[in-house]
Amino acid sequence: MNTKLKVSKVSKIYPGCIANDNVSLNFKSGKIYALLGENGAGKSTLVKILSGVINPDQGQIFLNDKLLKLNSPKDAKNNNIGMVFQHFNLFETLSVFENLSIDSEKNNDQLRILVNNILKKYNFKIDLDVPILSLSAGQKQKVEIIRCLIRNPKVLIMDEPTSVLTEQETEDLFLSLKKFSKEGILIIYITHKLKEVLSLCDEVAVMRKGKVVSISRTIDEELSSLANKMIGESLNKIKKMTSNNFSEEQILTVSKLNFNSEDPYEVNLVDINFTLNKGECLGIAGISGNGQNELFQILSGETLSNNGSIKFRGKEISKLNPKERREYLMAFSPEDRISQAAVPSLKIYENVALNNFKTSNFFEKGLFNERKIKDHSKKILSNFSVNTDNVNLKSQFLSGGNLQKLILGRELITSPELLICFNPTWGLDVGAINYIHQTLVKINEQGKSIILISTDNDELLQLSDRISVINNGKLSKIMSADEVNPEKLGLLMGGGLVD
Amino acid sequence: MIKIERRDETSNLIYFLTPVLAIFLTLVTGAIIFYLLGFKPLEALKFFFITPISDLYGLSELLVKATPLCLIAIGLSFCFKSNNWNIGAEGQLTFGGIVGGGVALLFYNHEGFYVLPLIILAGAIGGMIFAMIPAILKIYFNTNEILVSLMLVYVSKLLLDYLVVGPWSNPEGFNFPETRQFSDSARLPILFEGLRIHAGIFIALVSVFLAWVILFKTYLGFQIKVSGLSLKTAKYAGFKGKTMILLVFMVSGACAGLAGVGEITGPIGQLHRMISPEYGFTAIIVAFLGRLNPVGIVFASLIVALTYLGAETAQIFLQVPKYTGQVFQGMILFFLLASDFLLFFKIKFLGFKKYEY
Repeated sequence: MNTKLKVSKVSKIYPGCIANDNVSLNFKSGKIYALLGENGAGKSTLVKILSGVINPDQGQIFLNDKLLKLNSPKDAKNNNIGMVFQHFNLFETLSVFENLSIDSEKNNDQLRILVNNILKKYNFKIDLDVPILSLSAGQKQKVEIIRCLIRNPKVLIMDEPTSVLTEQETEDLFLSLKKFSKEGILIIYITHKLKEVLSLCDEVAVMRKGKVVSISRTIDEELSSLANKMIGESLNKIKKMTSNNFSEEQILTVSKLNFNSEDPYEVNLVDINFTLNKGECLGIAGISGNGQNELFQILSGETLSNNGSIKFRGKEISKLNPKERREYLMAFSPEDRISQAAVPSLKIYENVALNNFKTSNFFEKGLFNERKIKDHSKKILSNFSVNTDNVNLKSQFLSGGNLQKLILGRELITSPELLICFNPTWGLDVGAINYIHQTLVKINEQGKSIILISTDNDELLQLSDRISVINNGKLSKIMSADEVNPEKLGLLMGGGLVD
Repeated sequence: MIKIERRDETSNLIYFLTPVLAIFLTLVTGAIIFYLLGFKPLEALKFFFITPISDLYGLSELLVKATPLCLIAIGLSFCFKSNNWNIGAEGQLTFGGIVGGGVALLFYNHEGFYVLPLIILAGAIGGMIFAMIPAILKIYFNTNEILVSLMLVYVSKLLLDYLVVGPWSNPEGFNFPETRQFSDSARLPILFEGLRIHAGIFIALVSVFLAWVILFKTYLGFQIKVSGLSLKTAKYAGFKGKTMILLVFMVSGACAGLAGVGEITGPIGQLHRMISPEYGFTAIIVAFLGRLNPVGIVFASLIVALTYLGAETAQIFLQVPKYTGQVFQGMILFFLLASDFLLFFKIKFLGFKKYEY
């Protein structure tokens, strides 16, 4: 059985961003194809188009030369396109078999025979009658795969399948995928992990900023060439704006920090060590979902690490909560500005009051000092050029850029010694991005320090004095911004090593 | 294709008017139900909602019923506002009644000004301690407070049952499942001769005022509000989440306990099996009908109290079961939730869209 899948000139445009730009790809059964790219490269959009979740603005998809109309995930299923998402769609309290029978037209006896055959054929060891919640992540993924196999798929799409798996489980998965491929199932494997591309796949298409930039056979590639393609050459052109004259005084020392999460979708942090000097900007790069969130939360005190120490200006702060850390002059700007850094339905001055210091006297003897908070808020609005002076406005009516200015203003107006920010310019327009970058540079010039966790490499190279890369919960060695090049960055982000 | 979208903004006026709309829809549906049962709808509604409060005695009864509802709902608003789902106010009321009643029985042959305050204090503490159980289990073992608080209702009811039948039953009571009558010093003073309305109403009014100050004017109230809107933000701001869970449950439990002790030292005057006609559950409706706002809760408690009275008159004049009252309470909640849905979301009818490739 030969399967040909053709993606022809597919484009998808979102307001302010071209997610897929004239993407054309050809897939044939018998091979495993990798779709490689960093965040926002357009991989997920393409996958969603292939699985019928979204419709492309332009372009067609052909399966064995037949034009496909995929208006819903059901259409994709009916055309024998199977899909295993990064996050599982299983009912935790139902048994494996019940989960499988939900969207199957077969009667239970037929289905059980079919599933047992699949289990035997691929040597999957799963008890069909235990609830999903008792399974490991790898087993849950197998259930998802079995769900696809029941429908005799011609195409199987795997979206970042190894992010929740252990090494052993990853090896098992690769063996199964190779077996499927031999049997004529066309496999499209989406990842940002370079090593997996080389060890598993036959061909690799690299995407960057919505475009397919290269299609090649993996035997012609190596880690460094893939890294270069994934990150792009443009980085070299960007010059850092800040001067390197930060002082030798260490303001923050993080040592032997570990974090084991109970949530399987969170990343465990492993042995995090770094120091930060006064007036320095330390950039932390990485593909999103590699532990940035967890690192931010542990540095801000929202989550506490299992062990290790965080010393800030000589004081151990690893057991303090965010409010207590703020009293020691730390400030935090989280990635999720809409539902974490501020509450949309609260007024501007109420959102300012979230950052309540002992010295700010927002609450005198426990009572709300509305006038004081409003005066303080007005100061933030004018100092940080937010385009309103109405402190009674609900925050939901601020644009992303103005909201971010408000949040940064709230955090910075107390002149903190250290600002930790996570994707501060995510989703903003150019004007707002410039303003925020200038603000960050100004902080450094005033001798204050910054930890900039970002998935935007241009931004990191523009602002950071030193850069480290986080991959799967581990920090790479810290490099001076001058010695960073696209190849090194790409290798580290893709899980490789540099000397 | 039908699409449901969140509305950008809902005005405050409409936010407080939808409960009125919900009550109106309840009346219309009630009229239809009465019509289907073979009554004249308007007359039936008059028996239900007007006859009960057409004299002084009726008004006094309305306040007697509204007092515990208001008190409990005030306490519940602290929990609900901060995303803590305390469903067990009935249990906290009962336990407050047990502890307060225990103290009252201890002093059954004492007279003195100190007796009543002691009983009230004991009742509040009883309710508070009982509410701390789900809070502590939630904090340390991540249990679901809805289940725990609900199950504890039956624990306290059975405990009350055991006490009034067994060790605390009146020695001269011919084995009726009830305790001795409390002494006069253990009773809340009656406000008007011949009516049942008692001083408990002042406790409710003071709690309304305190709740308003705490919720709208203090740092604690601000923390409760933020936690209710976004737990993520509360965590980011560094609010002490666990302490707050405990605190709101304690406030809620204390209010329910006060309501319980207000019943036994007010209209009842002793402990028996039925110290509350499920005030603790009905107060959940009151809290939401009042928009978790202390002033709103005052009005809501009066309206819901009326359904209790209406059910009694309807039972007498229309020979319908008194559970009609619960039907009306259920309808109010149903219509409130339904109109809330339309308040926060809009439904769009799109028709079938064709996609071009």
